[in-house]
Amino acid sequence: MTEHKIETPKERQNRHKAMEAAAVLEKIKHDFKEPPKAMDYFYDLHERVHCKHEALHSDKAKVGTMCIQVPSEIIYALDAVPLRLCNGFYADDEIGSDFLPSKSCPLVKATIGQFASNNFSDKPDIVISPTTCDQKAKSGAIIENMGFEVYDMEFPRTKESHESREYWRRSVRKFTKDLSENLNTKLSKKKLKDAIKKVGYAQHLYHKLNILRKDNNSPILGKDMFLVTNAFFFDKIDNWIEAVEALANECEQRVKDEISVASKRSPRIVYTGSPPIFPNLKIPLLIELSDAIIVADETCSSNRMFNDMVSVDEWFVNDMVDSIADRYLKGCTCPIFTKNEDRKRRILDLVRDYNADGVIYQAFAGCQVYEMEQRSVLEAMERAGVPILYLETDYSPSHLGQLTTRIEAFVESLKNRKRRQ
Amino acid sequence: MKRIRDFINNADIRRFRFWLQLLFFVLFIYGGYFAVNLGNSIPVFSCGYDKAVGGMCYFLPLQHQLARPLDVLLSAASISVLIGFVTFLLWFIVFNKAWCGYACPLGTMQDWITGLRKKMGIRYSTYTQPQFDTLKKIKYIMLAIVILAPMGVGMGLLGGEWRTAFCEICPSRMITPLFVGDVSQWSLDFSTKTAMILTTLGLIFTGLFLIGSFFKKRFFCFFCPMSAMHYIFSDGALLKLKKDGDKCTKCGDCYNVCDMQIKDIADDVKSTNILRDDCIFCMKCVAACPEDDALHVDILNMKLFTSTKGGFAKRMEMDRLEKKDD
Ligand code: SF4
Ligand code: SF4
Ligand code: SF4
Ligand code: SF4
Ligand code: SF4
Repeated sequence: MTEHKIETPKERQNRHKAMEAAAVLEKIKHDFKEPPKAMDYFYDLHERVHCKHEALHSDKAKVGTMCIQVPSEIIYALDAVPLRLCNGFYADDEIGSDFLPSKSCPLVKATIGQFASNNFSDKPDIVISPTTCDQKAKSGAIIENMGFEVYDMEFPRTKESHESREYWRRSVRKFTKDLSENLNTKLSKKKLKDAIKKVGYAQHLYHKLNILRKDNNSPILGKDMFLVTNAFFFDKIDNWIEAVEALANECEQRVKDEISVASKRSPRIVYTGSPPIFPNLKIPLLIELSDAIIVADETCSSNRMFNDMVSVDEWFVNDMVDSIADRYLKGCTCPIFTKNEDRKRRILDLVRDYNADGVIYQAFAGCQVYEMEQRSVLEAMERAGVPILYLETDYSPSHLGQLTTRIEAFVESLKNRKRRQ
Repeated sequence: MKRIRDFINNADIRRFRFWLQLLFFVLFIYGGYFAVNLGNSIPVFSCGYDKAVGGMCYFLPLQHQLARPLDVLLSAASISVLIGFVTFLLWFIVFNKAWCGYACPLGTMQDWITGLRKKMGIRYSTYTQPQFDTLKKIKYIMLAIVILAPMGVGMGLLGGEWRTAFCEICPSRMITPLFVGDVSQWSLDFSTKTAMILTTLGLIFTGLFLIGSFFKKRFFCFFCPMSAMHYIFSDGALLKLKKDGDKCTKCGDCYNVCDMQIKDIADDVKSTNILRDDCIFCMKCVAACPEDDALHVDILNMKLFTSTKGGFAKRMEMDRLEKKDD
């Protein structure tokens, strides 16, 4: 008699997650015009991590981060790896629902869900929780109650004043000191400088790739770009750099050869709002399946994570730490800040710079800050004559019909507009 | 054309600046030995107390001119005052405050002191915002001294020792002549009480200059009356520091490298002319801005030097990975 192995809850959950991830990867790989060859690295990476649950960093100290504001340069300089824990799995979202009010943000629920099931391929040794949006800020305590080590990192919610700059700089200095003690590693000038330059180089590669998207012959689709930027959440940085170098070179060649992944008539979209995180690439996929192309974005899972660079005048440790701090506060267009002039300016600049035809704004149902900013962004776009579509979504795979209809109608109207011009 | 532009925008302006500053330093401090004479209306602190000066700080002649009795000042002699002033303006109008960032010997000396501090591994200090806002007014008081003290002498309200009151307290008077081996300025003038006070102040300011600029980048420039004088005319200058606020992300990279701690350079997204009264037009901000065309230096509305993503990455050495030796 063959012995029947009973599936543990963890195994079952992993099976669900693998199915979820595999379904999205299938779509990404096969439902579109030929992606660049170099994308194979990223397809494979997401499969290894999300379907096969392969660990990438078993030899290193792992620092989990709950938001982009945690300076990765400092973590790398302390010989650890940053792992961004913002989660896109519906399976985890469902588990997390038990711990949060029903109208919470699916991203937060999914993140908590993963902690609740304690199901990590790379389990973080410590979790850094910056006080950004209310839901994230308060998640720290919930996670701590589940037995994880959590470090609250104070983050200001205004950024214009000199006081907020000072406050955040102090917060980052303290974080640097505390983490160094926690990991029992000393921070050296050389290591910090190298880390700044390495992360800077990764950003530079991202920019290089992005600049190619300005071309009318789009070499790469937005859904692939999201996979690339999402991979930065957890990949080994050296591998990521190598893969993006290859991707950028290939895309450069594509632009020269006038190979395009979209047609000349495809409306060009700037994507903004709640962050698409694998496998929740629902909206980007719907957009690009409707014959539009995402040429740029303003989200914290992609552009915002790479855009602002560290500039240092004198390479002393303290100056580097302060400069790093500024990078994560001053240019940030996160909706948790009191004012959002910068975000509106940024979206408009992307529209102009990337020659876009319209903007699509996604807010997760339950993400109050993105929902609240919606009105003012819509107004600003209307004033500038930029068509914009606002969508409220969640992680559930059902109810795609209505979203599809709205997106298709929007894309169609952009096409008509383009024809008339 | 594009190649030239790329070359300029990717240039390492630090090195360019270092050599240009050195060139001007030699020209102004030792020019006299080579019979260089650029006149005496130079819009920077190229000190007239230096025997070999190759072009003199405008404040020395200006003070002497203003100290004439009022009737003389308003008579035919006014022509010479006017000529001096127009020459000053002509010099200034072309290069704007870039005189400060690239040509002023006293400014260059401060940069060298900064270099020394860096070599010693000591960190610079900064002012807090409230300190900054208060202290920045001092340069206008200094400018008032430059102009009003000699006029007071001319009108008979003040004694003759007030004639060049600012020069008496200017650190350049003591420091610059040292470069040609002249220590004669390092003494106190006991002839009158005022002279004694002024020369004592001069000594104190010189000490402050040396200590201050060791810890604070361009310490003296912040209080410099020439800088205040520049600002009055800078709107008309040909060389301009411009900003395109739509392209600025307010990231603060420019502010981070600014020796003068000018906050507007990052935070003001409305003004197109972004030159502020404290600015020394060193263009470090343009070099440190990672957004294409957000900051640029224009001459007659032509972009001479502009911020680019590529140039930024190159200067910060982020455009490639350093080869590991191991
Ligand atoms: S999507 Fe909104 S609620 Fe969710 S984590 Fe981000 S800011 Fe917070
Ligand atoms: S002492 Fe100062 S103000 Fe007077 S001439 Fe020299 S540099 Fe100019
Ligand atoms: S501000 Fe500085 S650089 Fe300019 S004239 Fe004064 S001392 Fe020289
Ligand atoms: S560095 Fe450039 S983008 Fe950043 S704040 Fe300054 S001007 Fe704006
Ligand atoms: S604003 Fe720019 S040019 Fe002016 S002093 Fe600061 S860094 Fe130099």
